[in-house]
Amino acid sequence: MDFTFTEDQLLFQESVRDFLVNEVTPERIRAGWETDSGRDPALWQQLAELGLTGITVPEAHGGLGMTALDFVLLAQECGYVALPEPLVHTALVAVPMLTELGGELAAHWLPQIAAGEATVVVGLERNLVVEDAHIADLLLLQRGDELVAATAEQVVLQHSESIDPSRKLYTVEVAAAAPTVASGSQSAALLSAAQDRGALGCAAQALGLAQRMIDLTVQYTSERQQFGKPIGSFQAVKHHMANIAVRLEYAKAPTHRAAYALAVGQERAAQAVSHAKLVACEAANLAAKNCHQAHGAMGYTWEVDLHIFMKKAWALANTWGDAGFHKSRVAESIFAPGAALGAGATFA
Amino acid sequence: MKLSFSPEDELFREEVATWLQDNLTGEFEKLKYRGGPGDEHMFPDERKVWEQKLAEGGWTCVGWPREYGGRGCSIEQQVIFFEEYARAGAPGRVGHIGEGLAGPTIIAFGTAEQKKKYLPGIVAGTELWCQGYSEPGAGSDLANVKTKARFDESRGKWLINGQKVWTSLAHESDFCFVIARTDPESVAHKGLGFFLIGMDQPGIEVRPIEQITGTSEFNEVFFDEAYCDADDIVGAPGDGWKVAMGLLGFERGVSTLGQQMQFQNELDEVVRQARSNGAAGDPVIRQRIARAHAELKIMRYNSMRMLSGQSASDGALQKEALIYKLFWATWHRSLGELAMDVLGPECEILEGAPYALSRLQSMYLFVRSDTIYGGTNQIQRNIIAERGLGMPREPKGTAK
Repeated sequence: MDFTFTEDQLLFQESVRDFLVNEVTPERIRAGWETDSGRDPALWQQLAELGLTGITVPEAHGGLGMTALDFVLLAQECGYVALPEPLVHTALVAVPMLTELGGELAAHWLPQIAAGEATVVVGLERNLVVEDAHIADLLLLQRGDELVAATAEQVVLQHSESIDPSRKLYTVEVAAAAPTVASGSQSAALLSAAQDRGALGCAAQALGLAQRMIDLTVQYTSERQQFGKPIGSFQAVKHHMANIAVRLEYAKAPTHRAAYALAVGQERAAQAVSHAKLVACEAANLAAKNCHQAHGAMGYTWEVDLHIFMKKAWALANTWGDAGFHKSRVAESIFAPGAALGAGATFA
Repeated sequence: MKLSFSPEDELFREEVATWLQDNLTGEFEKLKYRGGPGDEHMFPDERKVWEQKLAEGGWTCVGWPREYGGRGCSIEQQVIFFEEYARAGAPGRVGHIGEGLAGPTIIAFGTAEQKKKYLPGIVAGTELWCQGYSEPGAGSDLANVKTKARFDESRGKWLINGQKVWTSLAHESDFCFVIARTDPESVAHKGLGFFLIGMDQPGIEVRPIEQITGTSEFNEVFFDEAYCDADDIVGAPGDGWKVAMGLLGFERGVSTLGQQMQFQNELDEVVRQARSNGAAGDPVIRQRIARAHAELKIMRYNSMRMLSGQSASDGALQKEALIYKLFWATWHRSLGELAMDVLGPECEILEGAPYALSRLQSMYLFVRSDTIYGGTNQIQRNIIAERGLGMPREPKGTAK
């Protein structure tokens, strides 16, 4: 048993963090809010050059052939900077689905994704809207029990504004005939895997978002003075922050455990993912609430950066399965006949 | 990362399970699921005999190095041992303070003589220990201890005067480790010593404290010219705080796994009740049970994360250790509330007179102490914010 990451995995995380913190600044995010697409092709190309767009693309198709377990720490870093580009979606949802579909579809699209030349998105009906449909070259869309693959020319998009100005959401109508690429049990398996991977992506980003909000607030409360002292020295303020630290630290292990479960294909991976999504999003939501409180009125202004991260946390909490959905999956696994609980079932 | 146990470890699991199955029988049968925090008053004498039974089988101090009489088990094996111990319903350990706190402290900071003198009794399950930290004036402000230790040159002994309080199992213990002021002029963390003191002497009086459960497991302990030998001080005079804090590190280590196993048994009991009285059909109760289950898993994952690999020195994992107390105490208090809500109107009806609480009722009352002892939730949050997050320290008053 070993619950740690390898040195390589940790080094990779560090280098990606350095890159993202330098490149994806709050100023750059705010600049993106002023553009039509909200996306930055130059940044996407940089991510591709680092191997990140193809991180989970099999080596045979020009990628790094890594797993959810390798990527989970990087997804946290994407959350830390509130990366607007669909890197987590690409690596965790789109690429694995294409890889499992295989054949021509995989051979055609995966090398282009790895090279940063194409974007593929997946749309599940549970999510109501499809993220980043406007920049997608190919859309893999759930239509009832089937999965269809539509090119950009075959769809009509209707934009919906998100509470997080960085998120670009679309209702997608398939206008022209688009081929069905999976149906029946194959489609069901692909959709359920996508659901789990999408939820893991949210969980990992939520961890990063919570950490960022803590960092911003520790800095703010150490500088801001009232009654002649930094407000961070007051217990009433400290305890708000300590409560987040506990939730965050304790959301990490379930999230890493879920990434492991998906990477090695454990039978009960879905429960592990639901657990992770629940607690990670709770940590981020608590961070949003308490950090805002600690920022006082400043946190209510558009000018202060806190809301960039708060709003992404709020949005992620209810996408790829809301709390009710994930709680009921955990509850089902506990009340199932013959459920493996208790001593000896830690990793069951 | 590899979240599974090796074939060798699974064999070890079988060995533990078989031993417990073969030995937790006969006179020990009635000890199943008894003892432990909140239930320490049950069968203390029988549980002392059980300690020795465990020792005969080589199942005390499983994580200690072999040279000190331990079993030298790997972390994985210790995890397995605690899992199987709980699965078998084996009783709460009366020897846990010696095995988990006093012993590891002596191993880490003690002299060769102290090791020889004190470790064998802990391993054999024949000598029980208690912890003399808190005092009437030193609760959250633990460093404010007033108990004094002075060295009597003529007798060649340390003489201890003062009072400790909330001392769990003092009435069952053979020894107590005590922090006391060796420099009477000193204040706060400085000038303290860490002493190993025999309980069976005229200078020590133990008075039980009756709890809201109607039972007693902790005590007031009065020291009136109590003594220990010149070499019964761990570290030098003045090092007491360092030793005491080192000990708290052990408290958050492997011993947490045993505690979580007890939590698991309690949660299983709550689930069993919910199924039998229909509360499991209530969606709100189901969600609360699911949450309790998920959070207990978190504690277990985190303990294993903290213990696995060589990463214990990693900064993030030190932070993890800081938050454990706050998390489990709050979780346990919520479990008590959940248990009562599952029982519904039955929850107030006792098993009988005088004040005979069911296991869940006793738990419900006992968990009220969890968020207080060993550092209140509020103190824990101060520590997390200041040491974990690096927030500005609160100005401290001057001790008088």
